Amino acid sequence: MKRRLFVASTIATALSACSPIGTALNDNAAFHNLLGSAQALNHLVIGTRGMAKEYRERDISPDFPIDSLPTPTDARYADLAADGFANYKLVVDGAVERRTVFPLAMLERMCNMTQITRHDCVEGWSVIAKWSGVRLGSVLDIVQPRSDARYVVFHCMDKDDQGTPYYESLDLHQARHPQTILAMRMNDAPITPDHGAPVRLKVPTQLGYKSAKWVARIEVVGSYANLYAGSGGYWEDQGYEWYAGI
Amino acid sequence: MQGERIHRYAVATRISHWLWVIAFGALVSSGLQIFNAAPFLDASNTTNTAHHLFALPQPADGSPAVPGWLTIPSYRDLADGRRWHLFFAWIMVICGVTWLISSAIKGNLRELFRSEHGVYNLPQRLSYIVVIFVIAPIIVLSGLALSPGMDAIAHPLTWVFGGRQFARLWHFAGMLALVGFFLVHIFQVLTHGVFNQLNSMITGWYRREA
Repeated sequence: MKRRLFVASTIATALSACSPIGTALNDNAAFHNLLGSAQALNHLVIGTRGMAKEYRERDISPDFPIDSLPTPTDARYADLAADGFANYKLVVDGAVERRTVFPLAMLERMCNMTQITRHDCVEGWSVIAKWSGVRLGSVLDIVQPRSDARYVVFHCMDKDDQGTPYYESLDLHQARHPQTILAMRMNDAPITPDHGAPVRLKVPTQLGYKSAKWVARIEVVGSYANLYAGSGGYWEDQGYEWYAGI
Repeated sequence: MQGERIHRYAVATRISHWLWVIAFGALVSSGLQIFNAAPFLDASNTTNTAHHLFALPQPADGSPAVPGWLTIPSYRDLADGRRWHLFFAWIMVICGVTWLISSAIKGNLRELFRSEHGVYNLPQRLSYIVVIFVIAPIIVLSGLALSPGMDAIAHPLTWVFGGRQFARLWHFAGMLALVGFFLVHIFQVLTHGVFNQLNSMITGWYRREA
């Protein structure tokens, strides 16, 4: 009996020790930084290679969760939506040779990519949907990033309850990936407001938080360090990895 | 009467063993933190929102499905859970591959497959072989299969597990199997001369019963 008690208490101690020790280490800045070092390794080993698997029409999921910041409700977005986004214009500027404003009709004429791909959320769930739009690479070909350009930043129309806007960034290699698109259609219909109308990013080789909804402006930069909290994205500023391939 | 002292564990085995203890605790606890973000499993490529194969009940007060005393960190933080998990996954893999290569070169690995007069008895050998050559590869590969970047490099990796959600199921089942192994292992150590066992895993020397 004594031995059983000894065994049970040792196992219970071992199990319950992980969380408090881990939490204390987690709150230590130096250890927290050490943990973050895996990101560089993952980026190096996995990177952005190959093509995301493309599926058949019948693989499309019946439901696509709306799991993002709330759909914009401000007057500017309401005005755009009232006209079916006919007055929407995408501004592409920053470290580019030719700053360009793309009206929605122009982006629709440029449509050159349809994909049925899986959306992998950082939370763990996955759904498959069909997306049509213009390759981001085609947009970059028009604006021509300058030689000092390294990242493409997406400024979005959605804000959290503190008023902080959503934004994301990709490096030029990820931005020029043939499956990285500015999507305007989802499952053969114009993207609905809840899914990021009129233009959202779709990056099937990365976790879902990279696929920014409600894109208003694309800024090409040499560094994202001076934007917002400096980590290159809304979720990145809250501790998520910039490299979202895993 | 003192028993014969035998050198039972190579230095690589001892270092790996204790690194694994740390990594195992970190990976299970941070894995449960990650699981809390989507505490359900499906036996398909995509999530079956209408009817999950398995789902933990979500407490009505909004607290996580897996309680904080089992997770790292103890508060809800998916970003930090991932940070821990992706760091210690590398420790586990680097340590495992190094141990495997060094054991294979030195011939220690043969002890596991030797049927007579070996260091280990049959149940020990069977459980170690299953853990090292079946469960560990399943855990590592099904974890990698969850990565959209890996899936883009090698579609078959995610496909062999039955898709991304199914790979989560394999990953979770592998974890449960390892936890089961861990519980039996601890029980065995505690009931078969715990100090002799601990001493041999630290110094390498094991005293045979006289």
